[in-house]
Formats: sequence, C-alpha cells, structure tokens
Amino acid sequence: MKDLLIKISGTSGQGIISSGDILSYATARKGYYVTTYRAFPSEIRGDGKCYYTLRISEHKALTATGDTDILVCLDEDTIYEGIKKISKNGILIYDSNLVSVLKETREDIVTYGIPLGAIAKELGSERSRNMVALGIVVGLIKNLHLEEQILKDIELRYKNKPPEVINSNKKALNAGVDYTKNKLARKDNYNNAEMKQTGAKLIMSGNEAIGLAALVSGCRFFSGYPITPATEIMEWLAKELPKFGGKMVQCEDEIAAINYALGASYAGVKAMTATSGPGFSLMQEALGLASMAEIPIVVADVQRCGPSTGVPTKTEQSDLFAAMYGTHGDCPKIVLAPMNVADCFYQTVNAFNFAEQYQVPVIILSDASLGPRRECVDLIDIEKLKIVNRQKPQLKEGDVYDRYKDTPSGISPITSPGDLYGEHVITGLEHTEGNAPTPAPEVHRQMTEKRFRKLETAAGQFSKAKTYGDDNASIGIISWGSTSGPVFEAIDKAEEAGIKVQALYPRTLYPLPTDWIKDFVKNKEVIIVIEANYNAQFKSTIVERCTHINKGTEVLEFLKYDGTPFTPEEIYEEIAKVSQLQQEKCELVTNKHTHF
Amino acid sequence: MKQMEITDYKGRVKPSWCPGCGNHAVLMALKKSMASLNYQTHDTAIVSGIGCSSRFPFFMSTYGFHSIHGRALPVAIGLKQANPDINVIAVGGDGDGLSIGGNHFIHAGRKNPNITYIMMDNEIYALTKGQCSPTSRIGTITKCNPYAWTADRINPVLMALSFNASYVARGYSGDVKQLETLITGGLKHKGFAFIHIISPCVQYNKVSSFEKIKEIVRNLPDNHDSSDRVNAMKYAFAPEGLYTGVFYKEERPAYEERYKAVIAKAKEIAGENYSIKDVIKQFQ
Repeated sequence: MKDLLIKISGTSGQGIISSGDILSYATARKGYYVTTYRAFPSEIRGDGKCYYTLRISEHKALTATGDTDILVCLDEDTIYEGIKKISKNGILIYDSNLVSVLKETREDIVTYGIPLGAIAKELGSERSRNMVALGIVVGLIKNLHLEEQILKDIELRYKNKPPEVINSNKKALNAGVDYTKNKLARKDNYNNAEMKQTGAKLIMSGNEAIGLAALVSGCRFFSGYPITPATEIMEWLAKELPKFGGKMVQCEDEIAAINYALGASYAGVKAMTATSGPGFSLMQEALGLASMAEIPIVVADVQRCGPSTGVPTKTEQSDLFAAMYGTHGDCPKIVLAPMNVADCFYQTVNAFNFAEQYQVPVIILSDASLGPRRECVDLIDIEKLKIVNRQKPQLKEGDVYDRYKDTPSGISPITSPGDLYGEHVITGLEHTEGNAPTPAPEVHRQMTEKRFRKLETAAGQFSKAKTYGDDNASIGIISWGSTSGPVFEAIDKAEEAGIKVQALYPRTLYPLPTDWIKDFVKNKEVIIVIEANYNAQFKSTIVERCTHINKGTEVLEFLKYDGTPFTPEEIYEEIAKVSQLQQEKCELVTNKHTHF
Repeated sequence: MKQMEITDYKGRVKPSWCPGCGNHAVLMALKKSMASLNYQTHDTAIVSGIGCSSRFPFFMSTYGFHSIHGRALPVAIGLKQANPDINVIAVGGDGDGLSIGGNHFIHAGRKNPNITYIMMDNEIYALTKGQCSPTSRIGTITKCNPYAWTADRINPVLMALSFNASYVARGYSGDVKQLETLITGGLKHKGFAFIHIISPCVQYNKVSSFEKIKEIVRNLPDNHDSSDRVNAMKYAFAPEGLYTGVFYKEERPAYEERYKAVIAKAKEIAGENYSIKDVIKQFQ
C-alpha cells in the first residue's frame, strides 16, 4: 500500500516524543521502513507545541513530510494547525474530554473525538493519555500488527523505571486498542491497511549515528558542553564510551570542551566534541590551533537557527561559512556534510579517518532536522569499514625527531606522550620543522604550504559526490546535507510530471571538490542551489570557487530560513517554475530565430 | 630506567626570557624537582597557554604543548584524563590563568585532576610589553593606564583555596630552594596542585620588583596546620605580608581516579565480552 504518515501533536510535556519514539521503534523492529521528524520547543514543559511525525512505508522513505493520514492531537490548538494538512479520507483523533465541538472541520476526512482523558483517568492517571492515543492508532491500523511489538518497546523504554510505570503504560495502550475494537464506530477505511515487511534494519537518530560511528572509529574521548540540538551525541557517548574504557567529560564551557579534546588527542587518543552554533563560535580559536599545531580532532556541529541564540530547536544550514572560514588565518581543515541518518554514520567514520590521517580538524555539519530525527538504516557491516590510525615514526635512541617534518604528502609522522624518543613541543605559533617558534618569512610560507598540501593529498580520498536523477537532465540541483530527502522526493515527482532533474550532493564541502561540480554542470542549462540559509552560503562558495560555472550555466538559488526543513512539495514547485521559465526562454530564442 | 640529571631536561630552544627574569629560577627549580623524582622526559608533558612564562615548554626536553591564551588547564586536564600515566604539568602567567583563563581555574580546583599547575605571577602582561593584569597593584602605571590603575587585585591563593584545590602553595623566584621543595610537593601530590610563584618582571613592572617583593615575603609559621583550609585562608588574606609555603594540602581522590569507578560501573552493566556488535543491537 501507499505510505502511511502519522503525526502526533500536542503541548510539550504531554509525552508526544515518548509515544512517537515507541511507535517508530516498534514499526522498524516489525520490519517496516520508518522515517521521522521531531519538533519541540526547548522548554521541557511550557506553552510550546510539540510534533512527532512518522512515515511508515514498504520502501526507504526519504522524508516525513507531506499530507497526514492519521493526525493525533492531545491539545486543541494543534487540531486547527494540522487539520488542513490531513489527506483526503484521512483521520483526525482528538480528546473529546478537552474539545466538545470542533470549531473547524472538513467533509472529506474522518474525525474521532475520543475521551482519552477519561479512559486514562479510569486507569489511574491522566498522564497516560498519550499511550491511550497510541493504542487508538495501533488499533486503527491493526493489520500492521504493531500491538505486540509496542508492548515490548514500552518494556524496553522504561526498563529502569518502577514496574508500575511499565504496567500503566501497557494498560493505557491496551485500553486504546480495545476502544477501537469495541466502542468505536469505524467510519474510516484504514481497517484493512496492510504493508509489506522488508526485514531487519536499524533505527537510529542522526545524533546517535554520529556517536555510534565515533565509537566504531576508535574514538575514546569526548568532551562537551550541553547544547540543543547536539546534546544527544554527548549523552549517548556518556553511556557507551566507558563500557569500552573510553571517557566522556562534561566541561565548564565549549572553549574548555574543545581544548580538553585537543589535550586528549595530543595524548594519542582519538577525540571529538559536538556542539551547535553558539558553542561552535566559541570553538573557533581552538580549531585554528588544531590546524596550526596539526592535532587530529573531530567536531560535530548540529546546526540550528542563528545568529546568536537564534531558535535553538529549529533547523538551518547557516554555519557553513563559520565551518569553512570561521577561524582566523589560513586554516586547513575538512568540512563534511552528511545527507541523512545513515550518512551521519559513514561521514563520521570518514571524519575520524581524515582527522587521524591528515592531522587536521574535521567538522561534521549536521542540523536540527537531521540530528534528532530517527530513521531506518540498512545493517552496518563493521568488519568492512576502513579505520585509519595516525602514522607513527620509527624512532630509536639518539634520533632527532622533528614533529613537523616537511614531506611530499605534507603529513608528518606523529608521536604522543609516553612514546620513547618522540619528545616534542607542539604550538600554535608558526614553527620550524623541528618545532621551534619562528617569525621567519620563508618558514611561514613553507609551513603554510606544507599544511595545505595535506588537503591536496586528502582530495583523492573524499567520498564521491552523490548524484540522483537523470544524467541527461538539463536542470541540475546542487545542495548539501539534510536537504537530500525532500530534494530526491521532489525529483521523483518531477520525473512523473515529465521534468528531468538531476541533483548533486558533494559530502565534502571544504576543500570544495570543484572537479565534480564541473563535471556535473557540463550538460546542465540551469543549476538551482538549494539550502536552508539566507545568504546562499553554498551557492556563493560554488560561484566563487568554480568560476567556470559562471560562463555557460545559469545558477539560481532556492533558500529557506524559517527554521523548518524543506518539503518535497515546495522544491517540486520551484523545479516546475524553473522548468517553465526554461521552456519560455527556448521558445523566445526559437521565435527570435524565426523573426530574423 | 635512566637516572635523570638536571641537564637532561634542557630543551631544543634556548630560554628567551630577559636576563634577570624570575622565570629562570622557576625553570631551574622544576628541573631539580623532576630530577629528584626521576621524571622521564617521554613520560612528562608540560602544557602552557600564551605569555612570557608560557614559553616554558620550549625550554624543556619533555613533551610539551604550547596552546592558546588561557587554555593551558583544559588542555592539560584532557591530556591527563586521556592518559593518566603521563606526568602533566601546566604552566603560565597571571594574565593567562586568572584573566582570560580564569574560568578553567575554578573548575580545575573542584575536579581535582592529578596535575600540577605552576603560575608565574609577575603582576603584569609582559609579552605585550606591559599592561596591567588581574594581580597588578594600585599605583601601577602603564601605557594602557597612564594616569591611574583603577581595579583592585585578585588573590590567587585565596581563589585556589575557595575553589577546593587540594594542594595550594606559594613561592617566590628569589628563593629557588623553597621553590624546589614546593614544586616537588606539588608533583608528588595526587590531585590538583596549585603553586603560585611571585616571579618579578625586570622589564615592565617597577612596582613589584625583586627588592620590593623581598621586603614583604615571609614563610608561613612552622606551626601552620596545612589541613586547615580556613586558617590557610587567613594567611592568604594577611595584610602584614606575603606568606610563602604550603597553605593547604588534602588527600582526596583525583578526577581520573574517580572516573575509574564510572568505567567499572559501565563495564559491569555492559557485562563481559560486550562488543561493538552489542552496541549496534540496541538499534535493531
């Protein structure tokens, strides 16, 4: 059957996230594909609205956007926000104890006012309203057979809580399911909804994928400072690192966090930190130190709306300039942008490999729409992953070890405290190959070139840019990071409408792989650069770095900066508009020819 | 293991400090202390920030990390936490540690990492050619405050005592022998050892010269009980002079030691043979 989009909404503190999480885990564990989108205010409990969207499907779903098939509202406000976006013949579930008469309704949907509060109260606590509602959903789509798995997932989620908590949640769920069987006069046609199960897969969030990849890559030190929406990486590693003898240190601020990590990396341990905009700004000076002193380090920036405190819980891709150019001085580093949750894993593995091999800071640009989002990921074969460790010199007594030896690759073998005969001093000052500080012009020139040479050496190792769509398309999309889901979906939609479009996603944004972009634009008449920021940060980078792009190809931009992720619909509309303009232009040219 | 001599610690770079600078005495005292404890160069790391005294690591033959302004402590603690087998010594000046890096000093005190922090206090920013620092005295005139210096000083020893540092001492560059004793005590101490050293600048600070400091320094009384924090604070406050010696010393588990319990608990919960494959299972 077609995909099923379920949205649970309400006020922060009503358990929206818990019920959404349980449903998405159970769906994935049952063998369906699921992708999610979570939006919530930073306050734990307040007036803020909370939304959890899941798209369940037989194939790998790219986004959790589009029209809602089943909308669950635990408060009144979200009913009227969400009702317009319910698909034809879709379902609205609301609490009839809260809302006696709907102020607004639609003829072409089914509405179920259910006494969620009363049912929950009867079981002991109104707090379990969310689980009753979840039970209703599960009962409505009974042919997906989620009930048993959800009960298991409730046990798993609350395994460290008292048994009463588990039991009351289970009872509430069962009460919801029973209500659909015995009391609800069904008016909808989801009763027979079925879906093909597609076997074992993983389900994780973008933040968890980064944490997991760090662990797999051999990272054994994380230092950080809590910040939305990156904290989950720190929390996950706090739980897992010590099991492997690794360490997670919570610091007094982000400046300390990155400097702790640099100290640990100097000690020879693979180290990382994770943050968001404000913390990333604070880390800039130390990123320059890592670049100058050639210390491997990985920094994940889970971007949110900026500048300053901005909108902490909402998404934006506006830290690209900060990642590429934020540090003063000529500062070699590598910036990677994962496209989805699975890519968060693989790009983080790359990040550690690049950091260790080339002794540079590597920045991973995730964002608020990708970090907290849970998504199905194909099974990961850890044995097949290539893990790189830093290159050590062979030293014996009496050897003079030059830490910054200038080599053809730019890479100088590195020792750590504890290694015999490898003593050296690293510094943020310009220095000779033998690590002595110097202001000598020829040394600064030579060593700057040496440090940047590492990026040239690295260029051959970068993951190939991902393309999607028809090779012969005349319309091209160049974009980066988390936009890939809605962009690919929009391309599919355009294809159905007879418009050929191809997208390019270079996962390495700095140094910019100009060759791939050059290849990509060769047969394109127009390029749309899609990104979630006001300044068209990636577009201006492309235009500036790839001067050849300016000549034959028109470069347009499609930007969004309201804090919400792109939807496939709005991208499709943009594609259709551009396609229309292209056709008109063609006709204009043809007419002109006729005229002359 | 090689028996270390003072000369074994001579670094590849010749000290760049002015002749007569108090830091030369600190360098000598640290080398003597390290030799007395037979510190091996490959097992020792000296970490600094930015400033005259922060050039220290270059003048030693050990591992060294000359980091950025104010960040010696986080780098040093990260290093120690990542490899507790390394002897980690953080060094720096008053501007580096009390002004730009002040926040880290607070948290080093409470976390109690097993590192030694030597602060060379010349009461001035000397590398930038003489501006007032958090320990400059009223009356200090510099190009940045040509008429008057209007801020009161802070008291590093009192700070360390209130930050819960577990070893707090003060020395003076005019007395290398005492410095050696204090530093050796700090190196042997299992926890955060803070050693405040009055180390006069001969170039930019005429207010706190060797001569003037010499007039006001005095040893803590022999009967001072170094386990009494409140009494130590009284001496740190003392208007009658600048006391030197060990103000306070307390044995409590170091940061890295406490983390061992975290690892033990995590491993116990994970169970034997816990592997990456088990980690991945939680996502299945």
